[in-house]
Amino acid sequence: MPHVPAARATMTVALIGNPNTGKSSLFGALVGVRQRVGNYPGVTVERRSGLMEYAGRKIEVVDLPGLYSLAPRSRDEMVAVDVLLGRQDGVPPVELVVCVLDAANLGRNLYLASQVLELGLPTVVAINMMDLAESRGIQIDCDRLAERLGVPVVATQAVHHVGIAELKAAMHRVAGREGRAYSSPLPPVFHQEIDRLAGWFLKSGNGSPGRAVARPLLERLVLDASGYLERSIFAAEGSPLAEELAALRLRLEQSGCAVPGVETRSRYAWIEQIVSGAVHEPDNYLPTWTDRLDRVLTHRVWGTAIFAALMIGLFQAVFSGAVPFMDLIEAGCARLGAQIEAQMAEGALRSLLVSGLVGGVGGVLVFLPQILILFFFIGILEDCGYMARAAYLMDRFMSRVGLSGKSFIPMLAAFACAIPGIMAARVIENDRDRLTTILVAPLMTCSARLPVFALLIAAFIPDEPVLGFFDLRGLTLFGLYALGILTAVVVALLLKRTLLRGETPPFVIELPSYKWPSVGTVLHRVLERGWLFVRCAGTIILAVSILVWAALYYPHDAASVDRQPHLSRLKAALDRMDPAGEDYAALAAELERERLGEFQRQSWLGRAGRAVEPVFKPLGWDWRISCAVIASFPAREIVVATLGVVFDLGEDADAESEAGAKQFRDRLRQATWNGSARRLFSIPTALSIMVFFTLCAQCAATLAVIRRETNSLRWPAFTFAYMTALAYLGGLVTYQLGTWIAVRIG
Amino acid sequence: MVHAVIPLKRLLCGQAAFVNRISGPPDHVHRLEELGLRGGVRIEMFRPGSPCIIRMAGNKVCIRSDGLLEVLVQPAETLASP
Repeated sequence: MPHVPAARATMTVALIGNPNTGKSSLFGALVGVRQRVGNYPGVTVERRSGLMEYAGRKIEVVDLPGLYSLAPRSRDEMVAVDVLLGRQDGVPPVELVVCVLDAANLGRNLYLASQVLELGLPTVVAINMMDLAESRGIQIDCDRLAERLGVPVVATQAVHHVGIAELKAAMHRVAGREGRAYSSPLPPVFHQEIDRLAGWFLKSGNGSPGRAVARPLLERLVLDASGYLERSIFAAEGSPLAEELAALRLRLEQSGCAVPGVETRSRYAWIEQIVSGAVHEPDNYLPTWTDRLDRVLTHRVWGTAIFAALMIGLFQAVFSGAVPFMDLIEAGCARLGAQIEAQMAEGALRSLLVSGLVGGVGGVLVFLPQILILFFFIGILEDCGYMARAAYLMDRFMSRVGLSGKSFIPMLAAFACAIPGIMAARVIENDRDRLTTILVAPLMTCSARLPVFALLIAAFIPDEPVLGFFDLRGLTLFGLYALGILTAVVVALLLKRTLLRGETPPFVIELPSYKWPSVGTVLHRVLERGWLFVRCAGTIILAVSILVWAALYYPHDAASVDRQPHLSRLKAALDRMDPAGEDYAALAAELERERLGEFQRQSWLGRAGRAVEPVFKPLGWDWRISCAVIASFPAREIVVATLGVVFDLGEDADAESEAGAKQFRDRLRQATWNGSARRLFSIPTALSIMVFFTLCAQCAATLAVIRRETNSLRWPAFTFAYMTALAYLGGLVTYQLGTWIAVRIG
Repeated sequence: MVHAVIPLKRLLCGQAAFVNRISGPPDHVHRLEELGLRGGVRIEMFRPGSPCIIRMAGNKVCIRSDGLLEVLVQPAETLASP
């Protein structure tokens, strides 16, 4: 039995339960708004905890990931085991466990409870959603269950805060006591083998020095048919342990206790004894309103149509509903920038503050409304129980790509921004599926790509109807979205058949009963995700904005710029004009723009653009486009501003206003190749830039999040390499093929 | 009348059955058993196909098993209400 630590100032309580047991609502009911979300050190498993006080004692409640079993097959399950065994960094030893069970599905929920009770920690069982169980005709005798389990059993309805005071009182009563002596449901022969394995570990010379290993961990090691523990925390033991385990499992099989089947058999036999006479279930379940809704919502035709309508509504809300808020943020940043410009003298510091700092922060904040709206909708769909149906409907399609329905939500989120999409992939249990989803999520057309699409489509794609009711510009945008999705499908298929090939685990998800979404839970989740985005993307985008600013600003050699013949000519013309004349101001502004453009051309980034021009020439790009594309590698959203600068529209090029956009488009249309009258931009050039932007990994924040989520530098490097190669190839084929067609059709 | 054991995917909409056995990689079988899908449990087909939705002890579970995993069931005497 684990040692129960002496009472500390703050007690640590672990909250554990199956998914869909109302665990999050119970956690919210216990700790209120005092919640914190982060990661467990070294792993990308979300650590959710909160503080509560009871009878003058501070209690930290750690909400463990929703699990069906403590059998560690994934990071989530491993973290839960480690937290309960006191082995997890960043979490003090657990002094009490609250095991949350779904009243309407007690039999299956007691499976996890039996594993938790075996750990010997002080435990309280909370049977949640009693109202739902009663409405289905299920009767539960909590006193009898408590007597049989040997731990307090409290009935709760967390959403309505029913039973929370009783639960807190039970937690207080049990805290600090020794956990009850619990007789394991597994057969004696199994425990004899565990004793033998404990002895094997204590002996040195088995590949590592002798050591004591916690008994629950040894049990899990023997029962772990997936080999996860052998490969992870027992990897150092190598083949001697593998041989020992093989022999041990063979002996168990010969005794009629083959693993892992012995565990489910023994535990379910124990559960039948526990619930016998304490839980009464009806012989036949009457159809509920969840069943009636599911008949429509999971229907192949109606369900798919409703799902498609919901997705269209979600996109509409994300892309149209966010516009006024995005405009407000942009206007606020522009105003702040103008105020700084008005109050500071020209120089490096002013430029850094306006272009680097305010521009960088604004560049991040402008996406926040879309992300908040997206997560608000996802939160509602998740909380009411619909998301599991969406995963069911999408699984038919996703399984053809080698993924499962669970990859759908991350992909959907990635249409707003790849970062929340990659973070949402944590719900995928299978590591290979999760990694594949992370690696293809950046191919979904995020909203940062839209400004450059809007600019180039409006400037170069004719506004013509197609087949009477389609619009060529709309079709071009649709084609770019479709290109991203199709490429993601092909890359996912290739990855699952090559680098990430492996056995596909069965796809199993529970379809929870529908319920009204809890406003508090949804809003809390929305704010949490929004903050995570601002913190994560904000710091990185801000840093790269400053770097790009520096690359475009320095060396800032005024003498060298002013020596340029075209600037000297403009300056001379201006000097000859009457400062009171009507054309003076226009010419002065033009001189200023040209001067600024020259500074950019002579900047480090401008020089880099010229250096790489031969590389991008086959794509139809000159050094200016190359320069804007290089500048947008850390954050693609800055490409429009950079194009504005390199095509001499000035730093304040306002592509949003109608007049500004027209001026911008005209300038791009008039641009010619250096030293010739040949137009720089053509439809193939514009298409090649847009295809490049569709496929390229131009977002340092996304790569940093991939690094964090995969705990490796290899995968962000791989993503960058494959996406950049695809983008170059896509841009090249588009330009060359487009030019060839243009020549043929004259 | 005793019904023959058939694969889960052949169960019709609304048809009830008892799980006879699950065959496949031990870890995958173990996973399904942990979720409550194990020998002797009564299920009812809610939405056939791949993936399918079955009702199990009042709850619904969506399952797609690949070729390696097979859930074999024995249909119950009567058809449950659709």
